[in-house]
Amino acid sequence: MKIHLKKFNTSLSSREAGKSDYKDILPLLNTLKSDENIEIDFEGLSSFSPSWGDEFLTPLLNKYGNRLVLLSTKNLSVNATIELLEDIHSLKFKRKNNFLLNLKL
Amino acid sequence: MSNFLKKMSKFDNFLTIDEVADILKISTKTLRRWDESHKLLADRSNGGRLMYSLNSLKNFLTDDLFWRSKIWAATGSEPAKETLYCQNRAIFEARNAAMEKLLQKRIGEIYSIISSSAGEIGNNSFDHNLGKWSDIPGLYFDYDFTKGQIALADRGQGILKTLEYILPNLSNHKEALYIAFTEIITGRAPEKRGNGLKYVRRNVEKGYFDLTFQTGDAKIVLKANEIFSDKNIQKTNIAIPGCLAFIEFKTNF
Repeated sequence: MKIHLKKFNTSLSSREAGKSDYKDILPLLNTLKSDENIEIDFEGLSSFSPSWGDEFLTPLLNKYGNRLVLLSTKNLSVNATIELLEDIHSLKFKRKNNFLLNLKL
Repeated sequence: MSNFLKKMSKFDNFLTIDEVADILKISTKTLRRWDESHKLLADRSNGGRLMYSLNSLKNFLTDDLFWRSKIWAATGSEPAKETLYCQNRAIFEARNAAMEKLLQKRIGEIYSIISSSAGEIGNNSFDHNLGKWSDIPGLYFDYDFTKGQIALADRGQGILKTLEYILPNLSNHKEALYIAFTEIITGRAPEKRGNGLKYVRRNVEKGYFDLTFQTGDAKIVLKANEIFSDKNIQKTNIAIPGCLAFIEFKTNF
């Protein structure tokens, strides 16, 4: 399953929004097969912040562990946010190269 | 008037003639002449020293984004333009998104770091102060891309009071500010927060922008690429009840 974050908003900023967006995605996650991964696609985002990320990505990682996969992006705020969340919670997100992104280069 | 201001003596939030000369970049001689001609009238301390209220300087600082926001943060006076005041989070987020689009055109890929940092600071104001504002709810939010400057200010309860709920032994604003920018504080149930200012600090340390951040009577001045330490925290002479952030970035990345 791939989640395109731009479908929530192109600027993902507050905890309030992150919390609400996480709740909104829960019904969709109930359809996830037991061996299926969740891929997070950051393509199309303008900016991304630790407050939103901590309310959305952190609970997903806690629930799904290595089945949560973050697709690579060149957006600086996404990469800075992921790095901070990993340090704060002493955890590591699984990353995957976004081939589509590389083809565009 | 807020409790914060009621507790202060008359000259607690005044500037001396030397400080005003420095801010306005004019000589003390000119200031004395302006006082005599009533162009800029000063108050007198008990010892006869010329002292200036922030409000008296308002008309002389219209081009200075930092001081405009500081006057609002310290006095709650009317902003220069009504549009600079974001009464609620929705207004702030809409304005920050509009700023982000303009920034992207101006400075390229760094834009997302600047706007997400401004977003963290602005959202912090709402996350920490809803129902607890010192007097005026909301955020002052101003920017000038020609100068590469962004100012965000609130008249909330400030970091010391926010942290005192979980760290009751904190003794002053300097200590609270240091903790807010460095320590990962866990177990702050029912509230989850505390990453925003660490994110902002990292972005300064990585060289994306300079930051001045004030709460109460303490401020951090951190230049791009500088590693933060307690030496970056200073006491200020003009105290504010809430928080004030001033971001300066290069416009030619």
